[in-house]
Amino acid sequence: MKRLAIIFSRLIWLVPTLLGLIALVFTISHVIPADPVRVIAGEQATAEQIAALRTKLGFDRPLWEQFLAYIGKVAQGDLGMSLFSQRPITEDLMARLPATLELGIAAVFLAVFVGVPLGVVSALFRNSPLDHAVRVVSVSGLAIASFWLAMELQLLFSMKLAWTPLSGRIDGFPPEPRSGFMTIDAIADRDWEALFSALRHLALPTLTLALPAAAQLVRLTRAGVLEVINSNHVLYQRAMGYPERVIVWKYVLRAAMTATVTQIGLIFGVYVLAGAIVVETVFDWPGIGLFAVNSILRSDYNGIVGFTIWAGLIFILVNLIVDLVHSFVDPRIVR
Amino acid sequence: MTTNAITNTGRLRMKTKMLRMVAAAAAMFLAPALASAQGRYVHANNSPFDNLDPHAVFDVGRAASRINMYDGLYRWVDNPPKMIPWLAESHTISPDGLTYTFKLRRGVKFHDGSEMTSADVVYTMERMLAMKKGPAGLFLGSIAPGTTQAPDPYTVVFTLKEPSAIFLSTVPEIQVVNSKLVQRNVKDGDHGEGWLSRNDAGTGSFALRRHDPAVGFIATRFKDHFYGWEPGKKWFDEIEFRSVLDVNTRVLGMIKGDYQGTDGYLPYDQIERLRKEPNIQILEDESMRVFYFAFNMSRPPFDNVHFRRALNHAFDYNGFINDILKGSVARNPSPNPNNLWGTPKDIKGYEFDLDKAKAELAKANIQLRPITINPLAGFPETEQASVLFANALRKIGIEAKVEASPWNIVSDRFRSKDTMHDMVPLWKSTYYADPNNWVGELFTTRHHGGRSTTWYSNPELDRITDEALRITDQAERTKLYDKAIRHIVDEAVGIFVYNTKWFGPYSSKIGGIRFSPIGSGQEMRWAYFK
Repeated sequence: MKRLAIIFSRLIWLVPTLLGLIALVFTISHVIPADPVRVIAGEQATAEQIAALRTKLGFDRPLWEQFLAYIGKVAQGDLGMSLFSQRPITEDLMARLPATLELGIAAVFLAVFVGVPLGVVSALFRNSPLDHAVRVVSVSGLAIASFWLAMELQLLFSMKLAWTPLSGRIDGFPPEPRSGFMTIDAIADRDWEALFSALRHLALPTLTLALPAAAQLVRLTRAGVLEVINSNHVLYQRAMGYPERVIVWKYVLRAAMTATVTQIGLIFGVYVLAGAIVVETVFDWPGIGLFAVNSILRSDYNGIVGFTIWAGLIFILVNLIVDLVHSFVDPRIVR
Repeated sequence: MTTNAITNTGRLRMKTKMLRMVAAAAAMFLAPALASAQGRYVHANNSPFDNLDPHAVFDVGRAASRINMYDGLYRWVDNPPKMIPWLAESHTISPDGLTYTFKLRRGVKFHDGSEMTSADVVYTMERMLAMKKGPAGLFLGSIAPGTTQAPDPYTVVFTLKEPSAIFLSTVPEIQVVNSKLVQRNVKDGDHGEGWLSRNDAGTGSFALRRHDPAVGFIATRFKDHFYGWEPGKKWFDEIEFRSVLDVNTRVLGMIKGDYQGTDGYLPYDQIERLRKEPNIQILEDESMRVFYFAFNMSRPPFDNVHFRRALNHAFDYNGFINDILKGSVARNPSPNPNNLWGTPKDIKGYEFDLDKAKAELAKANIQLRPITINPLAGFPETEQASVLFANALRKIGIEAKVEASPWNIVSDRFRSKDTMHDMVPLWKSTYYADPNNWVGELFTTRHHGGRSTTWYSNPELDRITDEALRITDQAERTKLYDKAIRHIVDEAVGIFVYNTKWFGPYSSKIGGIRFSPIGSGQEMRWAYFK
């Protein structure tokens, strides 16, 4: 019951959160003195042509009027049309979302599978050379700019060693999407060649996104494990003669993971969604991050606000899932 | 099933043999047709192909979809650009210069197999005028809606509001769409914009096969294209244009062989990087894209000619061209490209000489104020030029503040003389190869708030350029543009720096690229794998 209450309260809070987000992004993107009408009309446009197009697109109306009209549309699920592609924003985002999710999920999995065990090992061998090495790597992982890392990985693995492709999601022009997830489509078709190609294309962008996320997880897990390992219940378990393996992986890790799990939601938002904007651009990964960059470069207001709403929604939903997982890891919060 | 299983029975062996014979016969039969089979050319483009509508898209970055899938009445080829008959075979102009009658080629087919007629050309013009986007800017001022006529299926008559000598040089931009097909797909009076943004209704050399707005498009060679495919010559069977936003990824992709071509205006250090690669060729051509500092002429001290001349003497042309740009461009001392007719060949422009600059400042005898330079963020050349210039200005006692902004913000500021910065370094590209594209648009009163970037107004210049639009005799027009260009340079209405060179990076396996400043070498019907 308590879990349902968590879901319910989160969903209620979704509305004012999104409303605030829309108001903020709408205002910022519209008050910047950039003019999408001029870009659409083209450099050769006459003053009359620009004025006529401005009226047609409704940009001559007061900002509050434009905002209310926009909110009205969003309430009906309509994010408006892209000023450039002439298609509904929702359609453009839907077409690109699977690419970002495929990459984001792969990156989170890689970060968890690498970051959590390394954090535990680092804590268990505190102040050993191994611990120092892991800490140096994790601090570097947080400090390295992702666009630089992306380019270095391209140079090493794609250009020098020729192990991975340079960019894109699959060899050649992508096939007509079904689920939109290249790996799932390939498995459904039992097309192992396509699956292998999709995985090879996933490797470098996943690695780029996962490195800072894994670094953050290493630090959190290490801190969590260190805190728990010095607690009384661990002292008691040791006194009872439990094997060290059981103490660490069953009791310490579970207690330490409560903090780590809640951070995964944050990591998804900060490292994966925000990182996707850079990583998708460098690896020519046709997801919503690349869509956002193109929208910003051309002042496509509807594209910018649409992307932000979706990113906000994804962030909120991921955090809801994380809270539910948290309630299983640490049942105390639903008692 | 394994090979052993097949060969185990005689029946299956026979079947295999027969299949092999059929395959061999088919191969022989197909051999002549496939002699020129060329596979797919892959191009990495800097702009996204999220809209394929030729009447919505007009920027140089996305020329490939328009120029390969659609045809205009005439077509620009080569450099200096020459116009060749294309969908239209010929034209006549009425003595008053107002009526242009085009005779269309017969038997031209759209990609769906239907014939193109004058009704399609009329629909195309009306659609552009109604949509008011992209190429419409070339026609809105000269053609009124509803005035284009189709007296018979192969004749089109355009009636201009006033004589306009540049009209002819804009007809390649009348990219004809299949009117019946587009009209069938109109939704809520949208002129079929939604549908045409993802589909193709053209007659062009390549027909759309796949489009993914997030990736790009693939188009297949259109065998029934009116221009024909000369037997024995080579061509591409398919072209793929992908959007690859990141310069570094485009360059690495070229080196790796993922792409066979990319855009011809890469930063010069990337061109030098590509030059070292054995599998890449860099084609070079002087383009028609003039780099200049636009002055906001509406406020003092820019109203003082000596002040403007002082600015012109304070820009280090050689330092910028030879040291910063490593000699990759050619000095262009006037607003019009050196390689276009109408540009005076003896015009010298200004030289970098701070003493002369100081002398001009003394003559100006004005109260100086700090001036602002607004380079384009993301275009390092504009920022480098601005910083170089600001340093030199300081030496002659003028304080200059450099503040970069993205293009969409800069272009918005051009709309008003109050919001435009004092100086903006930028390029003027070729939209039609006529001197009016530069001197006739950048400095004339009729283009204030639109194509003019200077807010300059001079009755004599307006008169000369208007006169040059009224008459069609090129010799007479040359004289007028000569006069107009000399006037602008003498009055120092801007700093004119260089004419861009196009450096087209292509795989060394590619041949037949024909560069034209309009289209930037992206028309693929002439190209082939060697």
